[in-house]
Amino acid sequence: MATQLTVRKRGLAPPEGRRRSPLARRDAVAGMLFVLPCFALFLVFRFGPAVAGSLLGFFDYQVGGSAKWRGLANFRRLWHDPVFWSALKVTLLYALFAVPTTIAASLGMALLTRRGFRGVRFFRSIFFLPVITSLVLTGAIFRWVFSAGGPWSTVMGWVGLGHTAWLEDTTMVIPALALVGVWSRFGYGMLILLAALQNVPRELEEAATMDGAGPWQRFRYIVFPQLRPALFFLAVIETTMSFQAFDSVYMMTSGGPAHASYTLVFDLYEQGFKYMDFGYSGAIGLALFVMTLVVALIQRLILGRDT
Amino acid sequence: MRHRSAIAATALAVAGALLAGCGGSGDSGSGKSTVTMWTYPVIADDKQNHAYWDEQVAAFEKANPKNDVKVEIFPWANRDEALTTALAGGKGPDVAYLIPDQVPKYAPNIEPFDRYMTPAAKQAYRPAAIQAATVDGKLMDAPLLMSTEPLVCNKKVFDAVGETRYPTTWDELLAMAPEFKAKGYDITTYNGDATGSLNISFYPLLWEAGGDVFSKDGKSVTFDSPAGVKALTFLKKLVDGGYVEKAPITKTSPNIEQTRIAQNKVACSWQHLPGDVQQYWGKENVHVVGQFKDVKQVGYGTVGGLSIFKKAGDKDAAAKWINFVTAKAQMDAYDKKAGFFSPLAGNDLYADDPVMSAMEKTLDQVDVGPLVPKARDVMGVLAPEIQAALIGKKSPEDALRDAAKEAKFMTG
Repeated sequence: MATQLTVRKRGLAPPEGRRRSPLARRDAVAGMLFVLPCFALFLVFRFGPAVAGSLLGFFDYQVGGSAKWRGLANFRRLWHDPVFWSALKVTLLYALFAVPTTIAASLGMALLTRRGFRGVRFFRSIFFLPVITSLVLTGAIFRWVFSAGGPWSTVMGWVGLGHTAWLEDTTMVIPALALVGVWSRFGYGMLILLAALQNVPRELEEAATMDGAGPWQRFRYIVFPQLRPALFFLAVIETTMSFQAFDSVYMMTSGGPAHASYTLVFDLYEQGFKYMDFGYSGAIGLALFVMTLVVALIQRLILGRDT
Repeated sequence: MRHRSAIAATALAVAGALLAGCGGSGDSGSGKSTVTMWTYPVIADDKQNHAYWDEQVAAFEKANPKNDVKVEIFPWANRDEALTTALAGGKGPDVAYLIPDQVPKYAPNIEPFDRYMTPAAKQAYRPAAIQAATVDGKLMDAPLLMSTEPLVCNKKVFDAVGETRYPTTWDELLAMAPEFKAKGYDITTYNGDATGSLNISFYPLLWEAGGDVFSKDGKSVTFDSPAGVKALTFLKKLVDGGYVEKAPITKTSPNIEQTRIAQNKVACSWQHLPGDVQQYWGKENVHVVGQFKDVKQVGYGTVGGLSIFKKAGDKDAAAKWINFVTAKAQMDAYDKKAGFFSPLAGNDLYADDPVMSAMEKTLDQVDVGPLVPKARDVMGVLAPEIQAALIGKKSPEDALRDAAKEAKFMTG
């Protein structure tokens, strides 16, 4: 009884049987009305198309609007389609290069710009700039950078790695695209990790320093554990982003050479807008969604245990 | 209290305003019917293109006061994305400029033109033009222009090498290649860009070798036949011998300025038109050889036409407009301004121009490419495999076999 009274006094639980005041109800209604436009836009432009796109996977949809039920036929085709499996392999390979490199670059830059020094804000802004630069523009520039005779192949030649145009080489095209992905994404990760680093108590690091811990030990045993939730968040976001790699592929390689950079989203786009096979395109989209979800759950199991 | 009511009212108003923005527009209800046509920079000069259509619209509207025409000119790039999205959203045009490569895909949305074209008008066309506009026995558009892509050679390069004969067959081209290579020239070029159309690059070789892309019924692919292997092996010989520039084999949308074609280092090409190269070669150095030959003499060409979509508001007005712009006088003026050829039989437009006149003579040897709905899908799997063979990742046989296996999932 005493416990119940205490809880009520603190206002942590509503009194039993008591109804919300008209004022609180009006507040709630006003809040909902404010949320309504955004919610409606989300329903119409995000959720609706996503559901419709997924449903398309079960139909043979013609441009004019006629749709014929196909059941699982599109998914059966997907299962046996070598282009789909090749695109999946390319997508996973891209993610394998891009995700760890982006996270490592984000972490490195966050640690470098963590401490206040002269011009730190300028550097943070510069590092964030690629995030807000259009990927189409980025793609056009990097297409030149990686071209035969471009700056990259020239530098590679100087260090004895040959003058190969990476975008025209089946082996090097994915690392080249991943580098562009890292360049355009690390600023975002840096910002997230900088915010997380603000929450790491300075006293802990100072105490460890006094106990004789070196920089690596301080990072490994004090800073890193505190960053786990942010790193988990970044891993999920970056994996999702890399599974959706499209803009740079579209601008720089169009999936080539010889399908070496033909990603799942590029396949989805071509099936839909080039070949007008919207049903099959929808099936690829649904498969991609399931794959992203499964990978996010696995990441949650491995990385997010304590978050 | 009043404050909170005001907040709620504001929120509701904002929501209402935003949702209202999602609504469609209504009909003007002016009593006139409007025909909307989508076309592209067929006349490359934007100003001339607009001026031509403005003039045609004014003349048509004067003769037909109850009909308005709105011509919208879109860029070539991503034209299918724009058209598909518009048609799917019910906002597509009434009339659009299409080529045979596109027609089978849009066929379910196209109103057959047979009943709008008089037998005499049909009779006046070249048979190849009508054949290219016909899908499943129905006329899908009114042909407006024709193009042809024969082998063209750079006289300047031949003079520099000291060669006076021009190659007309594969064997002749291969035999001349080392001589050109020794003097620092490529005998030809191959643009293998997977985003481009194989109608222009690989298929002419396939047809010349006696092969075809699809079976007669269009239900299976046949490019992996011995003729296909022969065509790809011919290309591979050119690549492996160092007789063609390597970068365009895999490069996406290469700019002509950056290729050896523009540097006057390539002798001949079946993938470039005189109009593409004459600013680099000089018009006097463009020599039109004719369609290239192995066992057959054939090349790519296309037929651009105007189609009416089934959802057109006033199909009769749309047909009237199409018949107006495809009348001989209008069509001749358009084809000449655009640098294309007339689809009408025996209607030579360029008697006074030796290059264009030579091109015109090849019109009856053109193939517009496969007229089956899955034609483009098949290109999507074949083009990367051709690249794989040319860069040495696969043998021609394996590449074509793998492409045929992938194509099977599309053709069923």
